[in-house]
Amino acid sequence: MVREVIMPKVDMVMDEGTFVEWLKEEGEHVKKGEPLFIILTDKANIEIEAPADGILSGVKAQPGDVIPVTDVIAHILEPGEELPAGVKAKPTVAPRADVSGDTGAAPAPPTVGGSEPGTGKVRATPVARRLAAEMGIDLARVTGRGPRGRIHKADVLAFADRQQVAIHPTEVARAAAPVLEVPLPDARKKEVVPLTGPRKIIADRMTYSAFTAPHISLSLRVDMSEAARLRARLIQPLEEKTGQRLSFTAILARAVATVLPRHPYLNASLNGEEIILWDDVHLGIATSVEDYLIVPVIREAQDKNLEQIVAELGDLAERARTRRLTPGEMTGSTFTISNLGMFDIESFTAIVNPPESAILAVGKIVDTPVGEGDGIVLRPTMSLTVCVDHRIVDGATAARFLAELKTTLENPYLLI
Amino acid sequence: MKENVENRKREITYLEAVREAMVQEMRRDPEVFLLGEDVGVYGGAFGVSRGMLEEFGPARVRETPISEAAIAGAATGAALMGMRPIAEIMFMDFITISMNQLVNQAAKIHFMFGGKASIPLVVRTPAGSGTGAAAQHCQSLEALFMNVPGIKVVTPSTPYDVKGLLVASIRDNNPVIFVEHKLLYRTKGSVPEEPYAIPLGKAEVKREGHDLTVVAYSIMVPRALEAAEQLSTEGIQLEVVDARCLKPLDKETIVQSVCKTGRVLIVHEAPVTGGVGGELAAVIADSEAFDFLDAPIRRLAGRDVPIPYNRTLERAAVPQVEDIVAAARALAREGR
Repeated sequence: MVREVIMPKVDMVMDEGTFVEWLKEEGEHVKKGEPLFIILTDKANIEIEAPADGILSGVKAQPGDVIPVTDVIAHILEPGEELPAGVKAKPTVAPRADVSGDTGAAPAPPTVGGSEPGTGKVRATPVARRLAAEMGIDLARVTGRGPRGRIHKADVLAFADRQQVAIHPTEVARAAAPVLEVPLPDARKKEVVPLTGPRKIIADRMTYSAFTAPHISLSLRVDMSEAARLRARLIQPLEEKTGQRLSFTAILARAVATVLPRHPYLNASLNGEEIILWDDVHLGIATSVEDYLIVPVIREAQDKNLEQIVAELGDLAERARTRRLTPGEMTGSTFTISNLGMFDIESFTAIVNPPESAILAVGKIVDTPVGEGDGIVLRPTMSLTVCVDHRIVDGATAARFLAELKTTLENPYLLI
Repeated sequence: MKENVENRKREITYLEAVREAMVQEMRRDPEVFLLGEDVGVYGGAFGVSRGMLEEFGPARVRETPISEAAIAGAATGAALMGMRPIAEIMFMDFITISMNQLVNQAAKIHFMFGGKASIPLVVRTPAGSGTGAAAQHCQSLEALFMNVPGIKVVTPSTPYDVKGLLVASIRDNNPVIFVEHKLLYRTKGSVPEEPYAIPLGKAEVKREGHDLTVVAYSIMVPRALEAAEQLSTEGIQLEVVDARCLKPLDKETIVQSVCKTGRVLIVHEAPVTGGVGGELAAVIADSEAFDFLDAPIRRLAGRDVPIPYNRTLERAAVPQVEDIVAAARALAREGR
């Protein structure tokens, strides 16, 4: 099988690497795991190993070349194999995107359909131009889906929609998820939905996370008897005070906000060569609105009591449903809770929401037979799964967090 | 009251509505009279004036020689002397023979004599293809007159409109070219019995929609409405604007509609080159609608060919419902 050798991504903020030298020559036999070439990142020279056994062929990278991550720089062939037909260097992706940046602006796509090559002119309808001018959007950054890449009103609105959500897909995320060269099934199409707006952002961020953060997940079951009792006691007084119903998610949010400060690596971000441990717990609550996912954020949750959390959560959820959240209220979380219990999901794993280091996946509360004394009793239990970025969170670290969360939920009176 | 309800429901043909307008205006105003080839005993080539000779007599329903120049000249002279002639030109193609009288006399006299005289003249004429009458009996020459200051051009599409617009044209003090479409003569619609006038220069939104504006007139209005009906099943909502009167043109209604939909398809039967569509496109591009356009202004019009005699080719030479459906669908979807 022909294997591609690519410019690897060895650093979270790395978009491109400088090629230093080949340690093998074209035509030489290499073994998987052998040092194959050296690259220079912002910080260091790094030796990269061969991804497979075979013959190094089609070497493209030369010393001094600056190459975007995931670009193919050579192939490894088995004896008798030939280079795939039409193998050429990928077009260079020019704009440099800042993964950790917080500018709220999406970077320019690699090719902008609306522009005329070489002329610098943008092909756009009058209404698209007017809207872009009114909204302060640079049309050169908008991809047109009309004939010959013409930018229509819908393209500008889609672009504005992306900006408003203020989450930024990056070049790296795009590069990390190249279009698969796999033929589509020969089947009748119901609909072709363009990958734009929030859906595109989710796709980019999840791809980025899945392909850069090695995930591990740990699960346990929590006895929710006391939490249920607490909820039954407080539901009415809290509703009188806040106008919102006390949910298990609110109790869980309060518990996480209380426990998390003692487990700083689960409330952290990997940023290049640094791990930032956050003092604030900005708690993201994954919420499904129509056909996409948004994450409203309870800021500084560590300093908020149950009543405040109930009030804020109710308000955020309501405005999420009616799409009246501001971009600032949907970004900047340091830890995310995703609860699918209302869909009868008993347990699941989740993808870490970058640049966070952990996400808590919450299942349904189920009456479960539990051994007690000599007998078996039914207890309401709930599955908690914490999924973490193993680059900065070890299994034991995550386990300690989860154990303390369990203890807290099983003795929830400390939360008030 | 009951009579009124029945009256509103009364359906007559486009042809009958034309006749009713003439008859009612001739009863109202003794200066109004009809002249043309075979308009008397024979009732006109299409039967529009059938029965009028009997009611009004040969002095007011005047048979003319086969000379369109004479018809137009006599009508212009009568109008100059204070009468209100309705001149019928049997086929619009023949109007070319009357051009000198209409363009150089009727259109100019009011202005060249300091407003001392006016020419309240209506030239009624059937236009358009679809009857297998070939290249010399099928033309739509309205664009020629749009380019002549001093002449109004009216192109009704329904029985209701044709009556009200003909009444308004007869009462208007300027020369009016009143274009009737042969294929519309037999179409039926609700028409009140009492006389009424529809002001010249007022377009009408015949169907509301938000995806695309179709500006049409004459026969292309019912075709556009049928296309709109078909496309609505695909979720494309056309707004159909009937220009009704090409000169003066109701720019406001057209521009407003395009501002609303952002897209416009102009449809007419006359050949595309140098046609009404080009003028409409320029009016739209030059208006505040420009900033609302989300696709190029498109024209769907007759091909630049003499109308063929062969029925298949004749049909292919001018826009049909399916052509409007295809063009509107493509334009509505562009970039969406």
